Amino acid sequence: MRKLVVLLAVLLCVLVLAGEVNIWSWRTQDAEVWKQVEQELRKMGKDIKINFTAFAPTEYDAKIAVALQTGTGPDIVYSRRLPGGRTQTMIENGLYLPIDEYVDFSNFSQTILNSVTFQGKKYGVPFAVQVVGIFYNKEYFDKFKLKEPETWDELVEIAKTLKKNGITPFFIPGKEAWALTMQHAMCGVSVLGPEWIKKLIDGETDFLDPKFTDLNRRLNELKVYYQDGFLANSTTDMDAAFAFGQAAMVFYGIWGYQIWKNLNPDIQVGYFMVPPLTKDQKPYAYVYMDGAITLTSNVKNLKDSVEVLKFCATPKFGTIFANITYNIPAVSKAELPKVPILQEVVDVYLNHASPYVYWVGSVFVTQKPSLYDDVLSPGMQEMYAGKITPEELSRRAQDAISQWYEPLKKRLGK
Amino acid sequence: MRVKASYVLLFILPALVLYSLFVVYPLLDSLTLSFYSWKGVGPKIFVGLKNFREMFFGSFSKEVFNAFFHNIYFFIVAATLELSLGFLIAFLLASKLKGAKLFRTVVYMPNMIPLVIVGFMWNLFLNPQIGLVNNFLKFIGLKSLARPWLGDPSTALLSIILVNTWRHLGFYVLVILAAILNISPDLIEAAYIDGASNRKIATKIVLPLVLPTFRTLLILLFIGSFNVFDMVYAMTGVQAGPFRKTDVLGTVFYRTAFGGLGSAFTDMGLGAAVTVFIFAIVMPLSILYVFLVERRERAW
Repeated sequence: MRKLVVLLAVLLCVLVLAGEVNIWSWRTQDAEVWKQVEQELRKMGKDIKINFTAFAPTEYDAKIAVALQTGTGPDIVYSRRLPGGRTQTMIENGLYLPIDEYVDFSNFSQTILNSVTFQGKKYGVPFAVQVVGIFYNKEYFDKFKLKEPETWDELVEIAKTLKKNGITPFFIPGKEAWALTMQHAMCGVSVLGPEWIKKLIDGETDFLDPKFTDLNRRLNELKVYYQDGFLANSTTDMDAAFAFGQAAMVFYGIWGYQIWKNLNPDIQVGYFMVPPLTKDQKPYAYVYMDGAITLTSNVKNLKDSVEVLKFCATPKFGTIFANITYNIPAVSKAELPKVPILQEVVDVYLNHASPYVYWVGSVFVTQKPSLYDDVLSPGMQEMYAGKITPEELSRRAQDAISQWYEPLKKRLGK
Repeated sequence: MRVKASYVLLFILPALVLYSLFVVYPLLDSLTLSFYSWKGVGPKIFVGLKNFREMFFGSFSKEVFNAFFHNIYFFIVAATLELSLGFLIAFLLASKLKGAKLFRTVVYMPNMIPLVIVGFMWNLFLNPQIGLVNNFLKFIGLKSLARPWLGDPSTALLSIILVNTWRHLGFYVLVILAAILNISPDLIEAAYIDGASNRKIATKIVLPLVLPTFRTLLILLFIGSFNVFDMVYAMTGVQAGPFRKTDVLGTVFYRTAFGGLGSAFTDMGLGAAVTVFIFAIVMPLSILYVFLVERRERAW
């Protein structure tokens, strides 16, 4: 009798656990996406239970590294883009698995697939393309008859007008240094331009180029239009302030739109790329592949995990993803929500994405000291706090990157 | 009755096993790891003393010593505030004022709030636009004092220390109060009879007799100041901004071993070297603390 009870208990456990796929991510906003994915899979006759868990972004990478090595990780994780030290290390140590044999990648462009490919194999299904730029409150622009600027000087004029009328022009989350680096980078692709960035990458120019220092200076001069005490504000403060109309513009990414609309469904948000210096220059936007949905070496339910991954590579997944998160799905042919700002951002992604960048997805963040963590993040805060000059910020970038970046070392004769 | 050594060992074995597993083993493993370079994944590469050279003399030393001096600053300010305020409040509580019993409970209440909640709460209070602190200052006509407390490099670390002090003050008050209550009432009575004022009693009788307790608390404060991490993490994050002005050895370790947002490079070996550094600073004081406590117990 006891043996029968044990056998039934085991069978029950097997039945209960059968069809479960565990997914970890840093994106709390995707929980609803996976609920809908579950429903869609069920309609297709695949009874799969998806357990989605999100962790704080600052702890996520360490968490999955430890979990996967100890065999306690999930079946699927969200992985960071390539090139990237972390993801490459995980691949090289067999913790992320190639999925070429399971998934049909015909709905992705080659550019997108480059961000998940390592040594000829694909290590994830890309899920989103992020576009960053300036998001603005349309109500204020309409009220003061402002139009989207075509040059940097016009942007400054808009800020002046808003400030004169008692509206905080920009809300900057200065406490989160990464957001200041993002601001610098999104300005760089338009103000400096992709050609200049390509020269930087090739070692034909460097960070002491007056153009780079000029950008630093322009950003430093813009701080008079930021909210008081901006160095103590976080992105959470920014989301609330922007959503409730306490500031007119933010330097952010399209992922913020879902948050602002959730906070205040009545807010009308517009978008424009950071304008270049002159009208004859083409404006560009910083666009990057956010990450991929990756199969791990800890997978306990391979069959169902593969089904989930296959679904993630379909336009249907892209439709679900876009309609819930208002992010641009990496998969093409998805039906996007009829939201003007999303259409606008897609157009920017297709026609104005800078082919060369110096923030995420660039060579300058692949080694230490990194232009992101070690130079621009603390450096932008120091510059805004008046502790260093724009020239000093340039010099720090030069000193840091020339320690290891070969084209720059060659240029400097190191 | 003679107790067999084997029985003693048997009874302490469970505790010894747990202690070894969760304290001794990680300690030794950390020490070993400090001689390796390891990204947290893959093979560990033996590098000898390279991590320590990097930490004390290399490009990493600037970050480490910046944090080290912040820990020292943390200790000096926290110790001054905790002990002076702790003594003042304990002295008042010992003097049987009306409401002393209630206040004794109230002063200890912040100690019961988890550190992360305290950090989160004070993050809101110190918000430059909507925070309680700045709005109160504006309300009482002191708008000029309102500032971005956690964004201003001159006030960020001090703000964290003040919050930390607020959180832990109750503990120091109770310990000092116990020491004050331990003083023979005859001594105080005799002083009053001889015409001593309250101030003279506090400074010439109570304070000297409470000094041994201060010594012990100072050691605990030193250990706590060099182990601080959660309060900084909760209030300014792992990047310890603005531009590392709130960086302490704990956040340097965390960032180095586990990385912060956007970090492309982590080295657990280098992080372990930082923890060995913290251990080397804190360990002698810990031994001294145990020695002092044991000496006092023997004296009793």
